[in-house]
Amino acid sequence: MEQVIANGLYLGAQYALVALGLTLIFGLMNVLNFAHGQMYVLGGFITYVVYGQLGLPFVVAVLASGVTLAVVGGLMERYLFRTVIKRSHREESTMLLAAATAFFFDAVILLVFGEKQRGVPKIVKGVFNDFGVILPYDRIVVGLVAAVLILGFIAFMKFTKPGRAMRALAQDRTAAQLMGVEVDRYTMIGFALGAMLAGVTGGLLVSITGVNSGIGGPISIKAFMMIMIGGAGVVSGAIAGGFILGMMESVGLTVLREYGDVTYLVIFAALMIFLSIRPNGLMGKPWG
Amino acid sequence: MIRKLLGLLFFLAAVFILLPLFIEVTGRKDLYYVMTSVALLSIASAGVWLTFYIGRINIGQGAYALMGGYVSAILVMSYSWSFWLTLPIAGLFCAGVSILIGMPILRLRGVYFAMVTLVLTEVARLLALALPITNGAKGITSIPLPGSISIFGVTLVPDFVQVENPRIAFYYVAVVLMVVCYAGMYRLVNSRMGHLCMSLQQNEELASSIGVNIAWLRVVAYSISSFCGGVSGAVFVAATQSIYPSSFTVTDSVNFMLNCFLGGLGYVFGPMLGTLVLYLGWNLLFSTGQFQLLIYSAVMIILMLVLPNGLLSLGSWRRKG
Amino acid sequence: MNGVLISRRLLLASACAAALSLTTLAAHAADAKLKIGFVGVTSGPAAAWGTSNVRSMQTLAAWYNELGGVKIGDKTYELEIVTFDDQKDPKRAVEGMEKMAQEGIHYVVGPNVDDGAAAVRPVAEKNGIIYIPYAFPKELYSPPASNAILGMIANYQSGPAIYKYLMENKGVKKVAFVAANESDPLSQRDSGVAAAKALGLEVVAEKDTYQNDTRDFTPVLTPIVGLKPDLLVLSGVAPANAPLLIRAARELGYEGLISTETAQDAKVLEEGAGELANGFISVGGASTPEIASDRMKEFVERYTKMFGEYNDESNTKVYALDYILETMKANPASMDNVDEFKKTVDTFEAPNPYLKDPNAKLKYVGSTSFGQKRQLAVPMVVNEYKDGAFQTLFVGTVD
Repeated sequence: MEQVIANGLYLGAQYALVALGLTLIFGLMNVLNFAHGQMYVLGGFITYVVYGQLGLPFVVAVLASGVTLAVVGGLMERYLFRTVIKRSHREESTMLLAAATAFFFDAVILLVFGEKQRGVPKIVKGVFNDFGVILPYDRIVVGLVAAVLILGFIAFMKFTKPGRAMRALAQDRTAAQLMGVEVDRYTMIGFALGAMLAGVTGGLLVSITGVNSGIGGPISIKAFMMIMIGGAGVVSGAIAGGFILGMMESVGLTVLREYGDVTYLVIFAALMIFLSIRPNGLMGKPWG
Repeated sequence: MIRKLLGLLFFLAAVFILLPLFIEVTGRKDLYYVMTSVALLSIASAGVWLTFYIGRINIGQGAYALMGGYVSAILVMSYSWSFWLTLPIAGLFCAGVSILIGMPILRLRGVYFAMVTLVLTEVARLLALALPITNGAKGITSIPLPGSISIFGVTLVPDFVQVENPRIAFYYVAVVLMVVCYAGMYRLVNSRMGHLCMSLQQNEELASSIGVNIAWLRVVAYSISSFCGGVSGAVFVAATQSIYPSSFTVTDSVNFMLNCFLGGLGYVFGPMLGTLVLYLGWNLLFSTGQFQLLIYSAVMIILMLVLPNGLLSLGSWRRKG
Repeated sequence: MNGVLISRRLLLASACAAALSLTTLAAHAADAKLKIGFVGVTSGPAAAWGTSNVRSMQTLAAWYNELGGVKIGDKTYELEIVTFDDQKDPKRAVEGMEKMAQEGIHYVVGPNVDDGAAAVRPVAEKNGIIYIPYAFPKELYSPPASNAILGMIANYQSGPAIYKYLMENKGVKKVAFVAANESDPLSQRDSGVAAAKALGLEVVAEKDTYQNDTRDFTPVLTPIVGLKPDLLVLSGVAPANAPLLIRAARELGYEGLISTETAQDAKVLEEGAGELANGFISVGGASTPEIASDRMKEFVERYTKMFGEYNDESNTKVYALDYILETMKANPASMDNVDEFKKTVDTFEAPNPYLKDPNAKLKYVGSTSFGQKRQLAVPMVVNEYKDGAFQTLFVGTVD
């Protein structure tokens, strides 16, 4: 049982990190970014090339992923999403743009990096095995880094000027604008930050789970589920959602394994029932 | 009014006469299946569009298409029903299920509703894998082609096995259903109920306060939407003669939604045009090989930048200018 | 509103017409062209499956064309590979097959998965197309079906052989199965479980499944590793998931054997699991240096030159195109008449150019499994992964 909980916590940390960037972008501009998973994949491949192929230090590789994705995200906001949001009658229309961007990334990644699953050498060798828990050291390292990143992100949103500006934007766009927040600038920063988080996560996790060009879509969908559990657009919600989904999977796979093929059926059905009871997730804003 | 009527006549002539003529002249017989697909998918998309009309983003139509397909396949295979009889049953079954599911989940809004319906698609796939009646992972294959319909000895629809090219027969079935579906949709939107739905889209609380039974209205709209999904799935299964849990997946659900966006959420015929462009677009880019997805997605992005309110907004924009 | 819709439609239609007339013109220019089709998945999470097919075919076609074409009967043909990406969607697969029929193609490689292969069957039969799926449902190959030819070794053929070998040589007694919750892997798991039980093995886990998009398999494998099986079978595992599963099992302290019945790629295993993948057992074609002929080595070289990197899955997938061409050479009438092809299938035999063994033959098999010859005889090479390469464990045959 200790092992199951350890698995759940580790998985949760990983999921929470994936969900953070998505929820940030959603909170700021009500865009459900279908391309989030593809950004993660792109980050993974950049780390693969820099660390796995060129042999530079892992930290440099992850930074490279983060910076590249931040630039890509900023450009996407500036030249794609801003234009469409300004000109469309219903803001849901951005979903098509997001999906098209996701396909575009998929195509580019497939053409550039090929169709194979890629992996990099382990960052730390060895396995921790005590107290009835088995955890490879590299997972512990990644889990800790994830925790630090999450805390750092929360601190950033709470205590810095851009962080406060973005929270104000997420709460009430018009009011924030009236109070003198430069809406365009901070929306762009927020989008870049969200994309950067996706890239950093992809880079970090490539050391554990590798990366391949086709997983972007499924990752986006899983991230949607997490932010929906916690409440869309709320940072603490994304973190809670990530941990809950991680724990559900870990416990569910152990407890329900005798019933075989129904494990995920039960998890998904539970999700639907949960949301019917709490229509805004755990702590989401009511207008979703 | 006359303009509308002329347009309608022209449209009917195009799908019933001009397109088949074009196919016969050019010999591109494979287009029958492509256009059948477009017609069927646009029926499912029309359902999704209706849920957009009441202000809900529906990414769960794949679940109902799959359900409708299985209902029809099981009735035909295990109970030897005629396909034509299973067609309305498939639709009604989906409508019934959607009422049960819709009552709790239609209280959700925005992304929450979108995500729940997305999960619903995955639930439907996993159910199809797990239930004994669906034959699980092995799917249902070798489903016979639809038989004939005759009333008082007059054959209305010939037996598809005896038709020289069943693809042509399926094309006409699909197009007739599509025309009926969109005619119904048009009628619905311009009826009292349609106006009430419109009020839901804009402000549910306000609609509720002036005495609109919003819960009832939502469930009705959602069940009509699911009916469309079920019918479309059932015909698809008959045309491909097989169904698997993977016949309609999350990708399909997302595509139905994208069709609506591309055509334009404000236009009844938006989803039809959206489906045509998205589905046929992929098909036409077939010869570009490995660059197919790249070109396809790039064109989609550009379309979105130029016409963020859908392709049909081109018309209204021109009229304004 | 309608008016706009229609004018858009017309515009599209005329665009289609223009594009079509262009393609037909091009097709008439070269007269001795032989088109072979491919319908399968080359994008999305399963892209590796179809890509290894397409690239094998394109490599071979370029090679033959460089040598001046393929001589069938008394004419020489330039090869052209027509590919269609079905996105792993059975509805698209049907469309692809219709397209092949439209192009006048009679021989198609693919689809890669069960549902696609079943969905295209009516189209192939109606249009006189022989297709070579990489999918295992028996009813595709058994009478009354007659147009599908299985392109590889089915898991219900290789599974029993592997389990038997491991029982006798490695003392395996307890087996655990794990599969993705999708049609192909689940069907393969079911037949694997049946085969293991028939051999008298104790099956300790047969219902564990995972979502195909799982990235971290530790939670999936934790309960299974606790059961301490001697052999862990990864039924129908996607090449992308194999290293992740192996790594998770090993890091959880699993010490038994791990095997699968599908083809894998050594490079993927090396990058994804490193030395933890040592001892992993899979099934491939003429992959290992012990048995590969010089021609096989040249194929790998040309493939690598053309696409930058080889994929070991192509060891099996290299065969399909050669089978089609060699059978046509044996009976030129089969080029546009698949009934002739079906007649030739029963007696056809040609040397297998990819194996060192001079007695190795290309022939059609499958009588035992399907009651008719509807399977390519590709060598059933059971491999063991070791430090970045595959080593032959044993070579089996199918009849």
